[in-house]
Amino acid sequence: MDKELIANRLFTHAVFPVIKVVLQDDAFYKKLFANVKARVVIKAEDKGGALCFDNGDFKVEYDDLDRADITFSFSTIKKMNDFLRGKTVLPKISGITKLGLLVKVILLLNSLKIMMPNVRPKKEEKKYLKVKMAFYMATTSLSQLNKVGDVDMKKWVAKQPDRIYQIVIEDTDIAAYLRVKAGNSKAGRGVYKRKRPFVTMRLNGLDGAMAVLLRDVEFVDAVGKGFVSVEGAPEYAAQMNDYMMRIQAMTT
Amino acid sequence: MSKEILGTTWTVYDADTLTQAEIYGKVLTDLGKLNPNIVALTADLAKSTKIGKFGDEFPERFFNLGIAEQNLFGVAAGMAKSGLLPVVSTMAAFASMRAAEQVRTDICYQNLNVKIIATHAGLSFGSAGSTHHCTEDLSIMRAFPNMTVIVPADGIETANAVRAAIEHEGPVYIRIGRGFEPTYYKNEDYGFEIGKAVKLREGTDITIIATGIGVLQAAEAADFLKENDDISVEVINMHTIKPIDREAIIAAVKNSRRILTIEEHNTFGGLGSAVAEVIVESGVGCAFDKVGIPDEFSIVGYPEDLYSHYGLDSNGIIDKVRELMGKDFEEDDNWDDEV
Repeated sequence: MDKELIANRLFTHAVFPVIKVVLQDDAFYKKLFANVKARVVIKAEDKGGALCFDNGDFKVEYDDLDRADITFSFSTIKKMNDFLRGKTVLPKISGITKLGLLVKVILLLNSLKIMMPNVRPKKEEKKYLKVKMAFYMATTSLSQLNKVGDVDMKKWVAKQPDRIYQIVIEDTDIAAYLRVKAGNSKAGRGVYKRKRPFVTMRLNGLDGAMAVLLRDVEFVDAVGKGFVSVEGAPEYAAQMNDYMMRIQAMTT
Repeated sequence: MSKEILGTTWTVYDADTLTQAEIYGKVLTDLGKLNPNIVALTADLAKSTKIGKFGDEFPERFFNLGIAEQNLFGVAAGMAKSGLLPVVSTMAAFASMRAAEQVRTDICYQNLNVKIIATHAGLSFGSAGSTHHCTEDLSIMRAFPNMTVIVPADGIETANAVRAAIEHEGPVYIRIGRGFEPTYYKNEDYGFEIGKAVKLREGTDITIIATGIGVLQAAEAADFLKENDDISVEVINMHTIKPIDREAIIAAVKNSRRILTIEEHNTFGGLGSAVAEVIVESGVGCAFDKVGIPDEFSIVGYPEDLYSHYGLDSNGIIDKVRELMGKDFEEDDNWDDEV
């Protein structure tokens, strides 16, 4: 499958959903969207997603992309991806008369830049946001990479029995997991309670997680330096990390 | 990009220090310094079984008999008869099946002081295939009079088992894996004694009696069940299959009235059967089930995948305990409800 199509799937199915984290955990955006009820579509060709705001609630929908209060349209999927990568690409915007909403949405989309690997927030609350969004996005992306048909990821998932890959950020409430089972995959938030994880990657607090996200250390060094501890099969954890690095390369 | 999974390397970082084979190789070499009667024998598997470490230190006391396992055990019997203390190491499938008659008649029949360290047991040889798996050896060895059968939980316990076997008079069969198994114990000071089970977790709802690689998995399952399901699980490490610790089994039956055995062996004639015999003979009733390889030749794959397939990993044990406890869990097989 075309790399840009895969990247687009990651943006729409893994990055868009973490907007919810911003709306819930960032006081500024929580207040900004508290009374917003709107449908904002970002699309190119027939691909894209609808960001659905409902007075503080948020969800992403993938059908009915012609129905929107505001639509960001791109002529190609690559241009849409580049826009979401933070590059300067101008979309065609419909619904521009809803200027107040448009400004809010642009501000919100801009806030996603915090996930970029070169962004180093200093404040603890911003670090928390970056780490939470990044690992939520990463686990969902891993699953989406399989669902969209990435050859390597499909092969990796197909060979495995029912397994949980758990990520936990120590001293925070941040946790996410990837479940795989003979070709199927699913990402989730929190700690999976039905089964014991096959691999648990414990990142040593926000700073440990930041060191890994910002690539200050490679994964193996991160384990050696105590930024990450692995419970379970270390080589499987390393493989998962390899896929996460690949996802980062595709979306930045 | 992701590298091909090689399998069986799931504790590769610890492979040089903690694995069963590495540890027994070192312990045997240490014991060789103390006891000049110890001789080591193998059948062209010095490196694979790690007994070659002894050979490096004591080449004059090390004998490679070539690929001739029946001869290997016959020679060991002769050495024991002449006053030496032979330690024989080969793969479990060869020790227990190809050379079964020599172990039985040459060694056990004469109650000779031969120690057998059988490696690559159970499913640990994974991709080598069903012919190289060994899931029948416990039932075979258990049936031989005079034989003591030990299945260490990990490398640390293997060290204890090898020392105890050298001290013990008579034939001993120590069953270990390929050498990449995760460890349970942190040190050797927990009171290992042949024939005495070790209680690892207190619990009242159900007792898991495990051996070999099942011990760590059972302990992890017990911790998970306590935390997430409020099920109190007693865990017993039954490292000696023969003579089995009857007292520990009967006490467990009276304690929880639910017994689950875990073994990397078929469910005929191994730990589960040995425990069942004790329970039936005791006349005390309880719920009982066995986790092991069913009546089939084991499938081929990486050990970690095979353990999962046969329910020998912690999640398989968790599922079995929930089943025995009557806890229903809704299947989580909707793969589209992703956040």
